[in-house]
Amino acid sequence: MNGRIAIAIALVALAGALVFAARPHDITADERIDQITTELRCPVCQGLSVKDSTSETARQIRDLVAQRVREGRSNAEIQAEFRAAYGDWIFLSPPVASWSGLIWLVPIFALVAGLVLVTGRLRTIDAPRPAEPSATQVAALRERVAREEAAEG
Amino acid sequence: MLARVVRIAVVVALLALTVTLALAFRRDPHDIKTGTVLKPAPTFTLQRLDGSGEVSLADLSGKVVVVNFFASWCLPCTQENPALVRVYERYRGSDVVLLGVNLQESRENGLAYVQRMGMGWATLADDDGRVALSYGVFGPPETFFIGPDGVIAGRHIGPIDEATLVTAIETLRARAVR
Repeated sequence: MNGRIAIAIALVALAGALVFAARPHDITADERIDQITTELRCPVCQGLSVKDSTSETARQIRDLVAQRVREGRSNAEIQAEFRAAYGDWIFLSPPVASWSGLIWLVPIFALVAGLVLVTGRLRTIDAPRPAEPSATQVAALRERVAREEAAEG
Repeated sequence: MLARVVRIAVVVALLALTVTLALAFRRDPHDIKTGTVLKPAPTFTLQRLDGSGEVSLADLSGKVVVVNFFASWCLPCTQENPALVRVYERYRGSDVVLLGVNLQESRENGLAYVQRMGMGWATLADDDGRVALSYGVFGPPETFFIGPDGVIAGRHIGPIDEATLVTAIETLRARAVR
């Protein structure tokens, strides 16, 4: 009984913590800067975000993003500024609404193709095999073959 | 029937991938036409490294402008410098303007390098890197060719040679005459 109460309390606490964590709250300027720079690719690094890079170029980009946030620009406006200079390459994840966004379709296409191929193969395996001809059918066929051979002489 | 369609689709997709890769590998990695190329050049006003005033791109409208991003700590910049010096001497006093934009170092270091390397053209200080970022520069050296119409006609990533510089400049001059 005590165990059940403890589990119930734990579940309620967990649910409360989740609700608290997911509550709508005003995002701070620093959180916005982190959010934007996490999505931007460091131009002089190998697969690192601007936020994670210690390079001078990344620092300059962070400073520029911070200034734009202070100026009241929206995330979309700041992203558009970097897209204008570097193209979609500057984003670590290709934007969905672009040609490079087609890359997101590849796994879906591969999954569908695989499912269709597997289903097709399974159907072939499960398909009922044609029944063996009956003795009467075999006898009739033999008689026909013999007749045609005799006719050909 | 459906499986056959899927098989054909897979073959077509692989062929498309092969063609795309073949075309991509044929491309000159120094000539990347993304971002700012074929768009109006971002305007800028920067101070000269030697402190003798400012240079504004807007004042150079109607001229062929070659913008070269460089730094003293960049070895390929040192390698390409003789070609830039020759091209500067060739077009000195003409409708072609060469601008050097110094990146990611102190003005003292940049100026010492400019004097040591005999760079007679206007060299500017991009202290906070904003101009380089607006042009989509990955790192020095990079060279942009801006036509008399103010549009970036081409971009060269990495050390540039004299022939590439002259060809790009003459193409823009010929286009301006037409």
